[in-house]
Amino acid sequence: MRTIANDPVEAVLAVGLKDLWYPICPSEFVAERPVSLRRLGRKFVIWRETSGKLHALEDHCPHRGAPLSMGMALGDRIACGYHGVQVRFDGVVTSVPGSPGCKLEGAKATRSFHVQEACGAIFLYNSSVDVDQPPPLRLPEELTSDEFSNFLCYAEWKGGYRYVTDNVMDPMHGTFLHKQSHSMAEGDNTATFRVRETDIGFVFEKEGQRDVNFDWTEWADTDLHWMRLAIPYPKTGGPGGSFFIIGSYTPISENVSAVFFWRCRKLSGWQRDTWRFLYRNRLEARHWAVLEQDRVVLEVMEPDANQREMLYQHDMGIVRWRRHMRNLAKEQLAKEEATEQVKA
Amino acid sequence: MNEIKQDIYLNPHQARRRPPTQYEDLLGDSIERAFGAGIHDLSELVAYLNRTGPGCPLNEGIWTETLYQEEIARLAA
Repeated sequence: MRTIANDPVEAVLAVGLKDLWYPICPSEFVAERPVSLRRLGRKFVIWRETSGKLHALEDHCPHRGAPLSMGMALGDRIACGYHGVQVRFDGVVTSVPGSPGCKLEGAKATRSFHVQEACGAIFLYNSSVDVDQPPPLRLPEELTSDEFSNFLCYAEWKGGYRYVTDNVMDPMHGTFLHKQSHSMAEGDNTATFRVRETDIGFVFEKEGQRDVNFDWTEWADTDLHWMRLAIPYPKTGGPGGSFFIIGSYTPISENVSAVFFWRCRKLSGWQRDTWRFLYRNRLEARHWAVLEQDRVVLEVMEPDANQREMLYQHDMGIVRWRRHMRNLAKEQLAKEEATEQVKA
Repeated sequence: MNEIKQDIYLNPHQARRRPPTQYEDLLGDSIERAFGAGIHDLSELVAYLNRTGPGCPLNEGIWTETLYQEEIARLAA
């Protein structure tokens, strides 16, 4: 998405709102070695202690700015590969081997971030300033309840993360783009939509059609922005009704997004196991083919396509969401300005 | 040394750990056909598998409700 110089709201949104949880990568991306990830307008180094405990710092040595990810993890700290400067998980420099006793030792010199693992992904709290305690990571019931089973699908798309949300906030594209798919061949070509408010966001839904195609989508804010939708499985998908998708999208850079889709189904016992077997054996490939249809369209859209649009009734959800995001960005800017004034 | 992920990540198979075996593909075909025919009970599914195959890898090829549950739990794990 194009960053408009001189538009501070756009600049805030381009790198993702602060003080929110974001999924940043699948769990298995971080194994024995420190990993460097560009996300949310900066680079993070993520590593694990041998116990599996995760840590995240800005991937920038406070000494000369070399990536800490080039270094070596030493339990709860990381030693920069350039001069051996050791930085602890909380951003405090614990040792400067080349110059013991220098004033960098003991200083809190690097941004540190809270990370947590859930449902096969690593989530990072994108705090505006370092905090001792982030808010709890609150995920939708499809990801937390024992009644549901889920698989994560992670992909990186060449398009701004807001294009990804626009796409999910637009159920009607299912009837056209996904007409040739394993799950979205049904439903009318026309629909009237309405917006319904919830305690944590809103639902954008077709009037008079549910459980036929991609008929509604929900946007929610629980200190993590996520989306929910349901699409009926064909009869061959067996008992259990529609499958649910929980989505959450994180900017990698201006025109690349980290895309997380959890496919969920409410099943138990042998039915759950059968779905999990079928998912691995064949359904995952079919879901992937549907997602590729979205990716191809999004990636061929010009980065400034959303600057020249003529929207109609089906785009009410997109308009509602964009306005909400702009308001959140303005709130963040006002908060930053107030903090600056206090400092001055 | 570090590991910097620079390439776009597009992996269509994230849930499976290895390519499926022929037996697994045949089992998937049979289960989908059974569901497509409206079979949703365990006993009917087991009867369908015994009619159409593939055979159960245990018990001389004969599926029972218990064996189906054990086998599908293994494949789902």
